[in-house]
Amino acid sequence: MTTDKHWADEMHRFLDGEGPAPADEATRREGERYRELLAAYREDLEAPGPEVNRAVMAVVRDRGSARQRAFWRWFVRPREVRVSPLLAAAGLAVVIGLSAAVASLTTRDAGPGMTVAAARPGTVLVQFELQAPNAEQVALAGSFNGWSDSTLVARRDPATGLWTLTVPLPPGEHEYLFVVDGEQWMPDPRAHAQVDDGFGNVNSMIVVGPRGVVKS
Amino acid sequence: MSQNGHGMGLFTDDADTADGALVRRVLAGEVEAYAGLVERYREEFGRYAASLCRDEDIAADAMQEAFIRAFERLESCRDPDRFGAWFFRILTNQCHNHRDRRRKHVALDTVAVAGPERTDRRVTQEEIRALIDRALDQLTPDLRETFVLREIDGRSYAEIAGLLETNEAALRKRVERAREMVRTALEEWL
Repeated sequence: MTTDKHWADEMHRFLDGEGPAPADEATRREGERYRELLAAYREDLEAPGPEVNRAVMAVVRDRGSARQRAFWRWFVRPREVRVSPLLAAAGLAVVIGLSAAVASLTTRDAGPGMTVAAARPGTVLVQFELQAPNAEQVALAGSFNGWSDSTLVARRDPATGLWTLTVPLPPGEHEYLFVVDGEQWMPDPRAHAQVDDGFGNVNSMIVVGPRGVVKS
Repeated sequence: MSQNGHGMGLFTDDADTADGALVRRVLAGEVEAYAGLVERYREEFGRYAASLCRDEDIAADAMQEAFIRAFERLESCRDPDRFGAWFFRILTNQCHNHRDRRRKHVALDTVAVAGPERTDRRVTQEEIRALIDRALDQLTPDLRETFVLREIDGRSYAEIAGLLETNEAALRKRVERAREMVRTALEEWL
């Protein structure tokens, strides 16, 4: 086995260009010869030429477009997706939560007894409310349902006794009454207006605009 | 300082053609922007690759493969502004792989170098090439990288420390160790 020879720090500083040539003549010649050999070697080395650029770019262009095609194929190709029930439930909860958040953002107060929400095109969701804790049933009858006393039935909140019902209505004026327990027709005390029905009775009225209820 | 005046991943002050800008353009789908990086680093690390691979043709193959691998993994280049240092590691690995692969199939020492009995001590360029290549074969891969960067490429210790992610003091020790191994291999010619 060959034992490596050690150069003094003086020689390393010389080779690094950080110090003068070694004082000893033989050592100095050795350092200079070492430099000459490395310089000759360096001169003989040739870096790869521009053909590398051409070869690389040919591949890269092809793979770049292939990558885009692969992405598009991945995007449009139907595929089987395996999802654990737990993950599916969590995802569903997120969707429901987001839907509720969006609904709350798009719902705005339309006045006493009513709230308005976005509905299908051409209609506005109007929520009717009646405080009637002792009632057995509350229905809504109006110009929008042919004054039927049974088709639009409100839902009662047991804790508060508040009856509520949401109805999609087109823009325009609508007259209505609440029907309590199937026999008592009464106007909405919180309606924006009460109008004469021409027969000596009073109907409640709302005006629905394209973007919600318009106060009368 | 490297031979062409570039430094460790900070190869231009032009914001449009800086490494980071080119990498981001490629990632955004502008594949042609990659040509700027290829040209820059082929020149920057070409001689290093040739020396490490011991053969220009092998070096060209290693560089080509390194550039293609870098392109395919570009998303994983965490600091696009230091693309050069990132690419350097890929290139170095490719050079070692190609060199080792080649050595398994071909006897590299095809040039006969005159022995110590020669009296005039004049050697041809081809012999010098074979001598140094043989000396580099004695080095471990990390010593070979360090030696080539310092003694062949002539880079500063600070620049090499950045490329190899080591401190300068440790680097100087490695260079000294590599020099002495090369000196031993070249002894009869010094």
